[in-house]
Amino acid sequence: MASLNTFGAILSYAIGLESRLHDYYVGAGQTERAKAADKRRKKLERARRENIVEITLEPIEGLDEADYAFDLDDSSDSGQAAVEQLAAQFYQDAAPKINVRAAQRALERCGQEHARLADRR
Amino acid sequence: MSRIIKNYIDGEWLESDGSEFIPVHNPATGELLATCPDSIAGDVAQAVQAAKDGFEEWRSTPVLNRAQYMHHFKVLVEDNFDEISQIVVKEHGKTLDEARGEVRRGIESIDFAMSVPVLMRSDGLEDISSGIDETTVRQPAGVFAAITPFNFPFMVPLWFLPTAIACGNTFILKPSPQTPLSAEFLFELLDELDLPEGVVNLVHGGVPAATALMEHPDVTGVSFVGSSPVAKIVYETCTRNGKRVQAQGGAKNYIAVMPDANIEASVKNILGAAYGCAGQRCLAAAVAVGVGDAYDQLKDELAKQAVNLKVGYGLDETTQMGTVISDAAKERIETMIAQSAAEGAEVVVDGRGFSVDGYENGAWVGPTLIANVQPQTSMATEEVFGPVLALMKADDFEDAVEMINESRYGNAASIFTGSGKLAREFKYSVNAGNIGVNIGVAAPSASFPFGGQKDSFFGDLHGQGMDSIEFYTERKIVIERWV
Repeated sequence: MASLNTFGAILSYAIGLESRLHDYYVGAGQTERAKAADKRRKKLERARRENIVEITLEPIEGLDEADYAFDLDDSSDSGQAAVEQLAAQFYQDAAPKINVRAAQRALERCGQEHARLADRR
Repeated sequence: MSRIIKNYIDGEWLESDGSEFIPVHNPATGELLATCPDSIAGDVAQAVQAAKDGFEEWRSTPVLNRAQYMHHFKVLVEDNFDEISQIVVKEHGKTLDEARGEVRRGIESIDFAMSVPVLMRSDGLEDISSGIDETTVRQPAGVFAAITPFNFPFMVPLWFLPTAIACGNTFILKPSPQTPLSAEFLFELLDELDLPEGVVNLVHGGVPAATALMEHPDVTGVSFVGSSPVAKIVYETCTRNGKRVQAQGGAKNYIAVMPDANIEASVKNILGAAYGCAGQRCLAAAVAVGVGDAYDQLKDELAKQAVNLKVGYGLDETTQMGTVISDAAKERIETMIAQSAAEGAEVVVDGRGFSVDGYENGAWVGPTLIANVQPQTSMATEEVFGPVLALMKADDFEDAVEMINESRYGNAASIFTGSGKLAREFKYSVNAGNIGVNIGVAAPSASFPFGGQKDSFFGDLHGQGMDSIEFYTERKIVIERWV
């Protein structure tokens, strides 16, 4: 069974991801990236809180956190690029699974930010 | 002995004078969370006196200030959103997403109450005769009470409390003794607002406290949400005692699925409607009516998707359906499933005897799908209030509408179709207070009244929306002549 099978599971995974990325970039001495991750985390927490629609809660299929194995021990330039690429991929996969547009948009924008960071080596 | 929770009266947390107590369990773990006092008439009298004493000061508090209190209240709820959601899960057993959704809808009711300076405005007319002007004003009506159910322990109190006090009334809440902890936390937040003493009061307990509220001469009106038999008693008791009353009862909500509907997408939504909150909501889908060729497709798709739902403890984010409220509820639901089978229905997905690893003490009933349900049988007519979806077959649209309108309940009904014409006809001819088109839970947002007809509602003015402004205010006509 896919582990990211509810609105909350997806948003909470994304929040946890940004939290881990914050710590990752603090460790790598990348203050700006750490701050950006923290900002995304806060936006996602707001999205989880404000965009939950009780009457359209539906089961979600086809998204599993096992598909997103981040290597957060490698803080080299190429390691960072790989992390950002995978994060962008996660958001690209997750956004269409959400049936509330505002939350979907929050995920899409996180994905776009990660894609930009992946390209900026 | 677990922690005994307290009443909140006149701005203070007080022990009940009662000597009876009700245990509050986490229905998923069986853990004893707290002990709820079964408050007595003396506790209620104290709360009513506090509310009565607080009324004059509060009603003269400028309406813009009252709206500001609502603004601060909303901020407090937002700041504590996650903690409230977790309390709801622990005492009710629903999933975290469902609890978050409940808290969000509660906040929407606070948003609505913030608009009270606009909502309470009235109208007037100059020169109804020479030099005579006539205006109406809305005034708060006094002390109001709400008796609320276990199934939305945070949201339902907020259907009433914010609007009641924003209109300038004082208020007493008596929540369900099965789920009093959300209300307790709600009042901890209200306490932080520094409202004048007596504006909001909380009395825990069961029938004795409810009866005392309904019979107290200084209570102006009562809002109630619960089962239909009790709603009827509440309505009769309150009207006999000269009170205004809005009593929302139970339901048997039908969903008609037409052959032109997108079955796979419809079923996803119907699953949420039927099994969300483990079916313990008055807008839950109880009967899916497959019209013509839709029946077999619907049955197959529902069976396929229902067995895949992940049932478990609500605090696990991946749980898609939680527990029912208690072992007694589980037993009652399982008995109703057995009765339906004995009446000749086919139990396609059987949630009886369900268990979850690690939570063997939980009140689990798995998603249940019962096909070949016939009109007039128990599963077609009686409210189950559990994760049980009945499946019935209709020959055509008219047949489906007739089945729906035969129900003695009239809370909600939905249609899944691609036809605007049929949707229009459904809205026009179905006797239910909340109609869904391609949505299984037709829950009105806070600015609309919560519909409900037949045995699903007793009263005139519904909860929420402009009905609630009417309910919580008196209209006074002023005719002026200056010579």
